[in-house]
Parts: sequence; C-alpha cells; structure tokens
Amino acid sequence: MEEIIARISRGSKMDQIYIPKNRMGLENGEFVIIKSLSEQIKEKKSIGKANLYFYRIKKIEPIKIKIFNEIFSVIENNMNSYDNIIITGSVLEMGFRFNDIDIIILSEEKIKENILKEKIESKTGIITHIICLSEKALRRGLGTDPLYQSMLSKCISKKRIIFKLKRKIEYKTLDLHLLKSEPMAYSFDILSGEQKYHLTRNLMSIKLFLENKKVNNESINREIIRLFKLNDINDMKNNLLEKKKFLLKYRDLYKQLSDIILKNIKNGSKQK
Amino acid sequence: MVQNRNKLIILLVGNISNSIIHIILEQSVNKPELTDKYRKESISSFEIAKKYREKMNPLAEFFPQNDIEYIKKRIIIKVTAELRRRIASGYKNINLSLVEREVNRAMKILKISS
Repeated sequence: MEEIIARISRGSKMDQIYIPKNRMGLENGEFVIIKSLSEQIKEKKSIGKANLYFYRIKKIEPIKIKIFNEIFSVIENNMNSYDNIIITGSVLEMGFRFNDIDIIILSEEKIKENILKEKIESKTGIITHIICLSEKALRRGLGTDPLYQSMLSKCISKKRIIFKLKRKIEYKTLDLHLLKSEPMAYSFDILSGEQKYHLTRNLMSIKLFLENKKVNNESINREIIRLFKLNDINDMKNNLLEKKKFLLKYRDLYKQLSDIILKNIKNGSKQK
Repeated sequence: MVQNRNKLIILLVGNISNSIIHIILEQSVNKPELTDKYRKESISSFEIAKKYREKMNPLAEFFPQNDIEYIKKRIIIKVTAELRRRIASGYKNINLSLVEREVNRAMKILKISS
C-alpha cells in the first residue's frame, strides 16, 4: 500500500498538503486518510513493545519477544476475557536450549487448553505448556507453594503482577511436592543431567521456602552449588556428578525435609 | 541386558508406587485444590511407568510369574511404608486396604499381570 510522508503547508484560505505528481497509487479523486506521523510512530512503538512487564529479566533475545507477542495475540483472539498472561520457565534464559514455553493464563473463564495449545503451537512451531488458573488460585499458590514462587521469580507478563504476599506454610502441599524429588534415590543412573537438576531444584525450593528465604532461580542454584560443593550448576546439568557423594547428601537432605514436614503435619493435626 | 532389565524394574516399581501413593492420598483428602494436585501427580507418575513398561519384554504378553510376584511385593512394601509414615504423622482417612487392589489394577493396565 502506498504511503507518502508530506508536510502541511499554510494557505491563504485553506491549508494544503503537496504530494508528487509522479507517484504509485493515490489517484486523483481518491479519498485518503490524513494522520499525524508522530502519533503513528508512537502507536507502532507501543504495538512492538505490547506493554509487557518483565520480572528479574536482565536481557532477552528480541526474537523471543516476537514469539511471545504472537502467543498473546492467539490467546486474545481465542478468549473473551482474561486477567493476565504470564510467560515463564526455561524460555526466559538466554539462548535457545529450552524444551517448551510455559504459559500461565489467569482467567475465570473456562478454557479449552488443548485447542489453545494446538493453535499456539501451529502458529509458533514450539511446544507449549499451558496452565490455567484463577487470579485467586495464583495468589494463594504464591503464598503457600515454593513451586509457584520459583516459577514466577522470573517471568514476562501482559499486565502488572503484584507480588506482595504473606508466606503461609501448608505442610501437606510441601509433602506432595517433596515426593516428586524421591525418584532420584532409585533412578540416579538412568536420569539425564537436566532431570537430576529438576529433582534437586524441587528439593532445594522446598528447603528455602521452609527457611523463609527467597525462592528464585538464583537462590536455588546458589544453594545447590553450596550444599553439593559443585563448581558450577552446569556440572549437574551436564551430568558430571559423583554418584556416591551426591546421593549421600541428597538422601540426607530429603530425609531432613521429610521429617520436618511430617512432624509439622503431626503437630498441626494434634492442634486441631 | 539382565542388569538393564533390573534397572527398568526398579524404575517401574518406583513410578507405579508413586502413582498409587497419590491415588490413595487423593481419596483421603477432601480439599479440591489438593485432590487435583494428587491426581495430576498420580497420572504423571503412571505415564512415566508406562514408558518404562514399553521398554521391557515381553511387550504384548504378561511378565513371568517370578517377576510378577517380585514387582507386586516391592510395590506393596513401598506404598504401605510411605502411607504408614503419613498415618503416623496425622494424615486421616488413609485406607491401606486399597493398596493391593490398586497394585493389581495398575499391573493389569500395564500388562504386567492378568
């Protein structure tokens, strides 16, 4: 479509815009829209940024932002209303070593996750993992669940997220999460480095949560390195662990956490 | 090969056990937010167990009787121990009599036994 930039000139009775006679399209007699260029630049800029909110993200590849905007537009076109859309997970780390894109949709509306997933995947070609929640459930989860805290410690959202939440420990929920880390004990040899990292990460997020410390990627990795005496977190991700030494500490920590959790469940039930 | 099969059996037992623990815990609570989480966890462990089963022979037939007995025994011991720890910690309404039924059901679905 032909677009011409021209200046408005002052006339005696009416102002006018001169455009070159030698042009493609915009024929004489045709109706056109006159719009301020500065306004249009502002509009384009805001479409490019799509008013995203970044949490604990120092740097991210622009191509990923383009993909996220595509995802947001697919969701907006397929939903009547939503409270927020949040992108989280390994996709937000620098580089392209992620397996999928984790999307949290906050909405009271019932969502057909599979259909939405298919649409996003056909548009972006990337596997997505959609979690649908109400805002209330997210707020509750953030206050009681270390997984939610670590998940949202680094994220990009469509609307602002308010994180001021009071932490409340629900030991039965922690017991449930802790069981997820149990397979390390019997499947060390068969697990990949990334799988070992995920199980340990889960364990460590529960530890930090119980100690009332911040639960985010940096604090979790720091604690894993410190406790298992690693040089770098990639030692674990690249499967370079010393089995005997590692499992000894892992089992010990698992048992400690399990004892604390079960003891508190016991005390809780006695109080009732 | 034999060693590999033993490792797969350990993984199979671990994941079936985890799935059954969550099924029984799910039935013991009446908090919807917890039951959903237990259900999801039990499904995900069972799906992993399915993948390990697919790597083991005989694929289309049931396991030999000694394997069936060993797997069943290991699962029952593991599930019961985990559930007993929770009962001792104050978990209510955990029905241990469901363990064997759930183990048989899982082994049937996974074509380990008839």
